[in-house]
Amino acid sequence: MEKISQSVVKKDHSPKMGGRSVYVADYNTAKNGDGILTGKILHSKVARARIRGVEVPTLPDGYYYVDAKDIPGDNNVNIVLDDMPVYCRDTVEYIGEAIGMVVGPDSKKVDRILSEIKVNYEELEPVLDLRTAKEAFFNYEYGHGDMDKAFAEADHVYEEEFETGYQEQTYLETQGMMAEPEEGGSMYVHGSMQCIYYVHGAVKRVLNCEPEGVHIFQDVTGGGFGGKEAFPSILATEVAVAAKKANAPVRCVFDRREDMEYTSKRHPSICRIRAAVKDGKVTALDCDVTFNAGAYSTLSAVVLQRGIIAAPGVYNVPNIHVTGRALKTNTSPCGAYRGFGAPQTFFAIEMMMDHIAQDLGVESLAFKEAHLAKQNDPTSTCGKYHFPVPVQDMINEVDKVCDYRKKKAEYSKPQTGRYRRGIGMSMIFHGAGFTGSGERDIIKAVTRLHKYADGRVEILASNGEIGQGVRTTFCKIVANELNLPLEKVFYDHPDTARVPDSGPTVASRSLMTVGELLRRASIKLREIWKDGEEQEVEERYRQPDFMIPFSLEKFEGDAYPTYAWAVNAIEVEVDTLTGVTKVLGAYGNFDVGTPMDYNIVMGQMEGGFLQGIGYSSIEKMDYDDKGRIRNNSFSDYLIPTTKDVPNMQCMLHVEKFPDGPYGAKGAGELPLVGVPGAYLEAVEQALGGCKKHKLNHVPFTAEDTLKELMKEAE
Amino acid sequence: MVRYTPVTLEEALRIRAEQDVVPYAGGTDLMVENRKGVTYLFLNRVSELQQISEDDTYVRIGSGVTFTQALKSPLVPDLMKEAVSHIAAPAIRNAGTFGGNLGNGSAKADSVLIEYVTDAKLRIASAAKERTVDVDAFYKGRKQLDLESDELIAEILIPKEGLDDYYYQKIGGRNALAISRVSFAGILNKEDGKIKRIAAAFGAVADTVLRYKEIEKMLIGKTAAEAGELKEAFIQKYADTMVLTRGRVSAEYRKSVCCNLLRDFLDQMI
Ligand SMILES: Cc1cc2nc3c(=O)[nH]c(=O)nc-3n(C[C@H](O)[C@H](O)[C@H](O)COP(=O)(O)OP(=O)(O)OC[C@H]3O[C@@H](n4cnc5c(N)ncnc54)[C@H](O)[C@@H]3O)c2cc1C
Repeated sequence: MEKISQSVVKKDHSPKMGGRSVYVADYNTAKNGDGILTGKILHSKVARARIRGVEVPTLPDGYYYVDAKDIPGDNNVNIVLDDMPVYCRDTVEYIGEAIGMVVGPDSKKVDRILSEIKVNYEELEPVLDLRTAKEAFFNYEYGHGDMDKAFAEADHVYEEEFETGYQEQTYLETQGMMAEPEEGGSMYVHGSMQCIYYVHGAVKRVLNCEPEGVHIFQDVTGGGFGGKEAFPSILATEVAVAAKKANAPVRCVFDRREDMEYTSKRHPSICRIRAAVKDGKVTALDCDVTFNAGAYSTLSAVVLQRGIIAAPGVYNVPNIHVTGRALKTNTSPCGAYRGFGAPQTFFAIEMMMDHIAQDLGVESLAFKEAHLAKQNDPTSTCGKYHFPVPVQDMINEVDKVCDYRKKKAEYSKPQTGRYRRGIGMSMIFHGAGFTGSGERDIIKAVTRLHKYADGRVEILASNGEIGQGVRTTFCKIVANELNLPLEKVFYDHPDTARVPDSGPTVASRSLMTVGELLRRASIKLREIWKDGEEQEVEERYRQPDFMIPFSLEKFEGDAYPTYAWAVNAIEVEVDTLTGVTKVLGAYGNFDVGTPMDYNIVMGQMEGGFLQGIGYSSIEKMDYDDKGRIRNNSFSDYLIPTTKDVPNMQCMLHVEKFPDGPYGAKGAGELPLVGVPGAYLEAVEQALGGCKKHKLNHVPFTAEDTLKELMKEAE
Repeated sequence: MVRYTPVTLEEALRIRAEQDVVPYAGGTDLMVENRKGVTYLFLNRVSELQQISEDDTYVRIGSGVTFTQALKSPLVPDLMKEAVSHIAAPAIRNAGTFGGNLGNGSAKADSVLIEYVTDAKLRIASAAKERTVDVDAFYKGRKQLDLESDELIAEILIPKEGLDDYYYQKIGGRNALAISRVSFAGILNKEDGKIKRIAAAFGAVADTVLRYKEIEKMLIGKTAAEAGELKEAFIQKYADTMVLTRGRVSAEYRKSVCCNLLRDFLDQMI
């Protein structure tokens, strides 16, 4: 193992394990010693209505009711399209939408006032069914080749539909935010978040002030998984407006039910794929992707982009046509979650390839292998796989560990008896970094290193520690390049007043993109290093020269500079009496380039893999015919524990990326993305294969399995 | 805040009789409920309630015995141990008690299912008197117990005989920290080639644990061959009789699982 990969104790290990970390809910007073007011949101109880009026009882002294009328700037939260209001306009569009906020010193009184407020709703018919939803926030289309010809000449044409459900991030710390008016009129906002500069942009717009008029600090954050990419911008604007009105510090921390019901989740999806097959090979793929965006567009544009780019999978198919739509429904706006649109589409293409293979009577892995893209092949968007594609080697490594091919053959023989087995394999990429030219055109990351006279070096960047280890790995890179002991390099939680904008903590980009900037900054600092002096260096993002520029209008070019790769195999045993599926083994092979810290990377791989298994099997969340999510607690929405997958084996395959620090690529999202395809292929095989039971949705629960088996009995 | 921490059962019963208190054993249900404005009677220091013993007929488990304690005891029957070993996770098993599992009144209580299938009795005590009640009579409905406001559950009496031939299955939403969605326990004893005793109990599918002694009678005294003949009619009888509720899974799912497990139990044990 390379030196940089050797594990160290994480910088935040001791304060977190010792219980000394201060989360936003932990502050006893504001920065200036003032007491903190509690803010609680008045959530809409209906999915769609015109608000005729809100009757607020007479408020005791020191208590406030805050709503859209109190917003100094304009009532739009800056995300992508800025269509989401801070507090509702004249209509509410989903259950949970913020109508207003009650603020005051005693949280019990705040609760009581909240319960006494009467909202006069004029109910309107909500749109809840994704299949009949019409309003598209975003509509994309791309393709290449000659589709008509490919389908005309096909020996077989296949058509199938795949569906995926919600997934809730279930970070341990719920959403929470606090705003403190400062002397001189500026606003200080801090809390649980992934992206300080996103929050900065949003609060600035809503308060209608100069960039210096607000500064944002990331408190210790108890997990994000994407859930703290956009939602904190919403909550931050809400508390900032309240703090402005009350002219006092206001904090709002969601309880678990609010968080599960009303904050962003993974987009439910429907993917329809048509495939043309000639001489045993797929010659054309026509993919139609629909995402349930919820009531406002928030991040759906970028989630959908990543999703549709992945629609043809890791395969090189000459003719491709992809359409994607993010549709409005009157439900909680969906957002970012580890994988960002790609788990949905990879699931569809992996199942499709498997089903075609089964229909053709060929082994599904061999069929997939025959279509794998290789280095220099075009990507789905006519970019190029510039670097070696290690998937075939990774497949062979997985096969070695779990005897995949042998088991696949064995389990395909007819099975009888109570317990039946199956195994499945999926292969996916994760485009490292922002989609398209986002890094170059939108983010334009800047980092700085500040050297103190005593020789300590501070990293100035805006990427937040959310458990993924950036406070440690960033420091490792700098310490390594400057040949300093790790203790001499530190990276504190970022405050926009102190750090440049190195971009958000998303898209598995921090280590690869910002880490490389820090490496280059370290070299600069090394070259000018003078003992005993305070010095500072800066480094800015440069797009690698080899990239084919991406055009969003044409949806063409290199969507990503490089790719991280994963091959997962999952072996299951289905209990035909209860429908319960036991995971006998979960084997993951991950190429994240050079691991910056072995333990940190393995923690990400194992955690993400398990999250993916939950997504595929037990994590079921849905809304009812009123648009209400009922499973809003940890006893109703179960996530897997280690006891559900005792045999998990993760390994790393290293294909270095020359433009990432020491060859590192993105790691965070990769382990979740491919899991549903492997899982469901395994369950389907256990049930006798797709000719008997064609499975095409996740989560696939015990109840789903039993339903399938009962079809057999009938 | 007033709270009571008696060390003897007598003292506990006196407080129970005189005050409006909520008995508090391991607190694993009560902590989650977090009731407001109640006074707790803490039972964790009453060592009389924490004993496991036996007499000629019964294994006697004190209501304050924790699941972890039971798992270590040579006296507790394997069937009970198996059910208890699937409860939650170590931390909850270290604190959770048999009395609390009963007192919570839930049909999902895993130890209560075993008490139903084994015809266990409960010793209920108050300062004034003591009585013994069959577990199925103790449950009057959803969250309704045959327990007066001055009474405490003192002991669970599990008949010792014939518990070796059992069948057990719990279906939770996952493998740890999961409340039962369906649970099933069966006992079948044979003597001279005939079924001497059969018991089948279903947990987590209705307001209380379900057991139908009338239906069980169909197979009592039957040879294996006769029972085999009656098997489908027997299962059908259950399917017709059981009225199941929906919860985190549908009533249909529950019913098919109940019937599947019942059939498997018969296939294996007859
Ligand atoms: C995370 C979690 C997982 C769980 N998983 C399971 C599971 O898998 N299976 C399962 O069966 N349960 C489960 N439970 C529920 C709980 O742990 C059990 O019901 C346990 O047996 C309760 O015992 P206790 O001593 O903690 O009860 P307590 O919380 O102390 O009391 C529960 C109720 O019983 C009453 N009570 C207690 N002792 C007496 C007495 N001597 N006389 C009269 N009334 C009394 C109390 O007043 C209260 O109403 C779980 C709970 C949690 C929090």
